[in-house]
Amino acid sequence: MPRLNHRLGALLLLVLVGALTPGCNVVRITLNTPLTPDDVAFIVPGQTTLLEVVDRLGSPDSINNSETGIVSVHRFLDMKYARVNFGWLAKPWSPVDPDLIFSRTGFGTDAFQVFYDSNGTVVQHSFLRHVIDRPFHPYPF
Amino acid sequence: MRFFQPFLFLAVVAILIQGCAFSRGTLGDDIKTEAIGEIKKGATTKAEVLALLGAPDRVLPLNGRDVYQYYRYDAKAGSLLLILINFSRLSVKGDDLFVMLNQNGIVEEVLSSKRTENLEFRFWPFGD
Repeated sequence: MPRLNHRLGALLLLVLVGALTPGCNVVRITLNTPLTPDDVAFIVPGQTTLLEVVDRLGSPDSINNSETGIVSVHRFLDMKYARVNFGWLAKPWSPVDPDLIFSRTGFGTDAFQVFYDSNGTVVQHSFLRHVIDRPFHPYPF
Repeated sequence: MRFFQPFLFLAVVAILIQGCAFSRGTLGDDIKTEAIGEIKKGATTKAEVLALLGAPDRVLPLNGRDVYQYYRYDAKAGSLLLILINFSRLSVKGDDLFVMLNQNGIVEEVLSSKRTENLEFRFWPFGD
């Protein structure tokens, strides 16, 4: 009898997982290594140099002129996409192929800019956007 | 039952990997570490940089100096396509090399990093 209960429990769990995840897609795309404020905490304006920044964070994606000297930009992306097709629940009983899709994409693009003086010492630094690390979330409303 | 365990394990593995996909894409040529090592600050000339690395992908004017930028991108994608749920992950990383030349055409600074070396195929989208 306990073995039967175990099998029934496993079957119920399988049905529950199947019902909760009908036609689910979970996708993540990352470009370069996303940087956090902790990763750049070592940078001290007036002290840290371009070489030290490159040593810790890798070379930037672009370098340009700025009024004070130069500006380097580290770009990164952490895109999260989740999709659920509830139409799958009706598939066994429907003569057509029904779709009821909820999906949501969070692009999570950001860049870290560092301004240097003409000697290559950091003047100021900041993130372009302050991207919040959102969980996978298919609900679009 | 013990006799059947390896077959059961194989069956489970076969079911799990039947919907696997691995893809890879690259943009640009590999930036050779040996070539970067041969560039000496204050000694290597513009012509020698071009001979070692070829023409740059971009030339940037920077406060009266020329900066040669070389880049390469590598993308690795892994997907686990199960019947009810699919997991995919695409990771893209780039190698960048900046060679700063002074007004006399001599290398002043070299900035480089190889981010693609640690790039792995992953399909699990959660975590880091």
